[in-house]
Amino acid sequence: MAHEHEHDHDHPHAEISVSEMPGYYEVMETAIRELLIDKQLITGNDIRHQIEVLDSRTPALGAKVVARAWVDAAFRERLLADGRAACEELGISFYDDTRLIVLENTETVHNLIVCTLCSCYPRPVLGLPPDWYKLKPYRARAVSEPRIVLAEFGTIIPDDVEVRVSDSTAAVRYLVLPRRPEATDDYSEEQLAGLVTRDAMIGVIPVTLGMEN
Amino acid sequence: MPNHLPSQSRIPGIVPALNEWPSFSPGDRVRVASRSPIGHYRVPVYLRGMTGTVVSIIEPVMVDNETEGYGQNAGSRRHYYRVSFRLRTIWAAYSGAPADELRIEIFETWLERI
Amino acid sequence: MSGSEGLVSRLPNDIGGLTAGSIARVEHELEPWEKRCHALADVLDFKKLINTEEKRRGVEALGSDMIGQLAYYERWIVAFANIFFAKGILTPTELAEKMSEVEARHIAGR
Repeated sequence: MAHEHEHDHDHPHAEISVSEMPGYYEVMETAIRELLIDKQLITGNDIRHQIEVLDSRTPALGAKVVARAWVDAAFRERLLADGRAACEELGISFYDDTRLIVLENTETVHNLIVCTLCSCYPRPVLGLPPDWYKLKPYRARAVSEPRIVLAEFGTIIPDDVEVRVSDSTAAVRYLVLPRRPEATDDYSEEQLAGLVTRDAMIGVIPVTLGMEN
Repeated sequence: MPNHLPSQSRIPGIVPALNEWPSFSPGDRVRVASRSPIGHYRVPVYLRGMTGTVVSIIEPVMVDNETEGYGQNAGSRRHYYRVSFRLRTIWAAYSGAPADELRIEIFETWLERI
Repeated sequence: MSGSEGLVSRLPNDIGGLTAGSIARVEHELEPWEKRCHALADVLDFKKLINTEEKRRGVEALGSDMIGQLAYYERWIVAFANIFFAKGILTPTELAEKMSEVEARHIAGR
């Protein structure tokens, strides 16, 4: 909040704390937002509301989808046929025009996802991607040496299992449906969801019993 | 819901809109064009000239994202295809398993029938 | 020179298959301005003021130096500014003046 200072008297100003001054890019973001609001092209409420939308999207949503697919075979079929429609069945709305293809890991195929050109990611159902997903080492190497990349995450895929890398370039987004761990027959759907991590839905690690959230 | 009709159920005399029906079908062998556009493109350099197999047709027809990047949202709707490529055919020194694959969405204007 | 053709015909973000180092598992909580920037991108796309593909092209157009030195959301906000100028929605002068005003407001607020 701006306020007027009288400068015809002597008093020391409090030192400007460098950490409180917004950086150059934050100033730019603020200025652009305010200009667009002044011109009535957007409203402050548009931004505030979209922040709430973004905050509401976390890997817990994807975990719910995975757990439902594990316990309900008919849902799993619908999920594999049209990922977005099946998520919407569970109340997970998509706030953009993207489609979702769910990639099922099986005994013979292990899927992982990447966006080599930018950072496409299934945000409506997983939230925002981690930095490593958006940086060069993962993006450059996931398509050319996926098994070595997986090994860096501690994941070793046997040679008789196909590794399948999906590179997003257009309107389709991907979610990996990881394999259900052994010895979970008596788990409730909620307990199953608690096992499923974001990185398992990217496909870089499996779901294991040691990974309760 | 697909907005194309399989050819055996097409009614004679019905003329589709330009590019309304997909040019390629699942199972088709296709080659990615070798052209090198400057400016905005969405087919990575690593795929240019590569041969793959159509896995599925993405529905519905959508705008060409390469022109959409310049603010042109109309007049360019065609199909995207999910296409698979064996990694050992893309990378000369690929060290993984022979069956390992890449799958990627490609706009119809980038694909040639083999 | 043949060396420069690669710069022109291969986008700086087209890095699939290039040599790269090991994957550091870095992540960070978005700063408030970064989250506002992400929300802005979504709102601009929804309202078709700047669609997502235009944003991607705008980031590519920053060129390899800026892409290499600016962080993720820093690239977005500079790309937005450039796109707004090209569309005649903002002018460089009005953005510069507004940025000065925002800065002055923060200084005066101490």
